[in-house]
Amino acid sequence: MNITPKRLAELSVLTALALIIFVVELRIPDLLPIPGVKLGLANIITVYAVYRYRGIEVFMVVLVRILFGSMFSGGVSTMLYSLAGGMLCLSGMLLVRHIIPPRHLWLCSIIGAILHNTGQMIMAVLLMKTTAVLCYYPILLFSGCIAGLFTGLCAGLVVSRVGGDGQPR
Amino acid sequence: MNLKTKICLAAVILIFLAALAGTVYVLRPIDSTYVEIVQDGTVLYTIDLADAENQSFTIESEDGGYNVVTIEDGQIYMSDADCPDGVCISSGVLRSGLSIVCLPHKLVIRFVEDTE
Repeated sequence: MNITPKRLAELSVLTALALIIFVVELRIPDLLPIPGVKLGLANIITVYAVYRYRGIEVFMVVLVRILFGSMFSGGVSTMLYSLAGGMLCLSGMLLVRHIIPPRHLWLCSIIGAILHNTGQMIMAVLLMKTTAVLCYYPILLFSGCIAGLFTGLCAGLVVSRVGGDGQPR
Repeated sequence: MNLKTKICLAAVILIFLAALAGTVYVLRPIDSTYVEIVQDGTVLYTIDLADAENQSFTIESEDGGYNVVTIEDGQIYMSDADCPDGVCISSGVLRSGLSIVCLPHKLVIRFVEDTE
């Protein structure tokens, strides 16, 4: 895999942006007293990157964001939840980006949100060793769909403003 | 919008509706008075709220943290904890199928069916 310095710089800027958005979002009070319900604004960067960069490159951006993000916000368990959610979300979005055209990337974002919540739920069941936490799954999915639609529409704006054909290159 | 996109859209709408139905189901009021306190996958206590006395007790977690569970007038809630997020405290009184969960301390309070 060869990455030109220019591309590396672009990816670094994306990662930094995602981290800034992530940290700013931490300051927003929780809407509901339910663990895992959040807007996930950093997902805007991920969705944008999914439609503009190669799979491995997006993977690096997301991995670094999760590692640094959990260093800023929480601990090891936060990182495990984010990793499970983030990686499942990313794999799903990388698959459906070939099916869904950039014009409808909000749909890709919603699918990503659904998978993110699913990954977190799987991790929660594994860590808590009980299926009792599954009662949060419908609520997480419901809020995740709405949040995913919102961040997806934002990412759509970014792709159309920043330019390019929106195809993975 | 091509066919594959439409299929994705239909799947997403189905999941959304299922989640909505699931949310309504989970949030329904529960008439059982039996609650179960589960830590790290093992049931610590099963309590009948209908004839439990008003009390507070502390549950220690493996990593040295604690949660204080309070039973008051047939209602149960987490009154104190030293976890970083405090989500379990802000969840309030256990009312529905939505369990009180403390993720950092692997603690769950939930309603169970009357087994007798």
